[in-house]
Amino acid sequence: MMTAEALGTILVSGLVLGSIYALMASGLSLVWSTLGIFNFAHGTLMTLGAYVAWSLTDNAAGLGLSPIAGLLLTIPIMVLVGAAMEWLVVRPFYGHRAMMLITVMTTLAATVFIGKGIQLIWGARLKQLEPLVAGKITILGTTISAQELLIILLAPVLLAALWAFLRWSATGRGIRAVGQNPYAAKLIGINVPRLFIITFALSATLAGLTGVLISSVRLITPMLGDEPLIKALIIVIFGGLGSLAGTIWAAYLIGIAEAFLIYTIGIYWAPSLIFILLILVLLLRPQGLFGKVVR
Amino acid sequence: MTDALRIEGLRAGYDDFDVLEGMSLHVGAGERVGLFGPNGHGKTTLLNAISATLARREGVVSFFGDRIDRARPQEIVVRGLIHVAQANSLFPDMEIMETLELAAWTPRARADKVANLDKVLTLFPRLAERRRQQAKTLSGGERQMLSIGVGLMCAPRMLMLDEPTLGLSPKLKDELADAIGAISAGGTPLLLVEQDIAFVLALVDRMYLVDHGTITREIDRGGSVDHQEIMDMYFGTETAP
Repeated sequence: MMTAEALGTILVSGLVLGSIYALMASGLSLVWSTLGIFNFAHGTLMTLGAYVAWSLTDNAAGLGLSPIAGLLLTIPIMVLVGAAMEWLVVRPFYGHRAMMLITVMTTLAATVFIGKGIQLIWGARLKQLEPLVAGKITILGTTISAQELLIILLAPVLLAALWAFLRWSATGRGIRAVGQNPYAAKLIGINVPRLFIITFALSATLAGLTGVLISSVRLITPMLGDEPLIKALIIVIFGGLGSLAGTIWAAYLIGIAEAFLIYTIGIYWAPSLIFILLILVLLLRPQGLFGKVVR
Repeated sequence: MTDALRIEGLRAGYDDFDVLEGMSLHVGAGERVGLFGPNGHGKTTLLNAISATLARREGVVSFFGDRIDRARPQEIVVRGLIHVAQANSLFPDMEIMETLELAAWTPRARADKVANLDKVLTLFPRLAERRRQQAKTLSGGERQMLSIGVGLMCAPRMLMLDEPTLGLSPKLKDELADAIGAISAGGTPLLLVEQDIAFVLALVDRMYLVDHGTITREIDRGGSVDHQEIMDMYFGTETAP
């Protein structure tokens, strides 16, 4: 029988994981439903965001800005990086029959370039960001850092803002329209390439912010985003391709399932068991949790 | 007076195959023109080439005197030349009202949004009844009404309609014919692609016959339609026994 304290621990650490996964996967999901491609450089963008924030905030080797200034200044930089990436590795292949497969290669290539660039610029030595909020807090009998609580609280705010943007703003509506029918979108005067680049910039920003938020809890390494990318890919498929709501639910579900498995059977076997669980679910529901059956 | 649309020697197609083999036609300001011909002879290709959703290879396209044969799709919509595509599935997950509001995308369309929305909902009361319904749940007729409504929300200075009655019942065809008649009665020039000869003739001042990517004949409203000629186009020329 599991104690209330154990359940509290699982819930709290599951929410931290779920928040990180949801922020990562929503950007990936957005790019998939708008451009119809998977951005395999999404994890590297997360890593890059962390290093950029480190350079802005570190007192010795960086600019020494406050953590909050570092976070906010990382946003415009990630917007530019995302836009540049769309321009360089996606735009040349618009309308190509094999666009999806080609961009698997080009975004993987971007991962290698950016990853090596990170090693050249920042080196392999481990780094860490100063937390946005310091201290420790005990909730449900579990002690976590205030930064982790901030992540738990901030993720739903950011995701709700993303959802509201897509639902009600003119640009957000346009992005959904382009994803559902680019031909019909052109016929009402939507500049499709412009919305593609905005989508990519938005997605890169989400990845970068995830990197900044987690890097005072974990250590920054050039591989920081690798595992979150794989998790995010799984989550997007598990939640149902093309459904942002599905992606977000799946992210929290998997976060909590992972925390449960880590608590009960340990960190060694938990990742493999999660894969087995996902495969079982996908055997029963090939379209994912919230996905529609594809024509 | 300047023509609304003038096309000279337009060539366009797919891969290394030209579907349009140098097409020329014109639509006067306020004029309603039909485009009639068998499937696969370039009518839809022509509209896609005009709206720049298909690359043009050669030829001149001008809209109210301005060359638009190098313009991008969104620039053509900004000018007010609106293409209502054939069997357009629009945005499957969007609601009717959301779709109509979205369609007022260009600044000019946004300025007329309220008036145009009113016009569309008066023309097609059924869209008003189903305002919260998603496009994918609509019937063929309702989807066609929404397509034309979307075209009107773009604040057209000219409309190109591609087979608005494809697959509809005679009753719905009449309903749509009334709506299209009402739109063009307001003075909006019209290029209407249709397979139903009676439907076209009731709505246009003039008609072109299209065959193998070129215009083969022009029929004025006064001139009678030669049924033999139309039969020949569809079934090949009959040789006398």
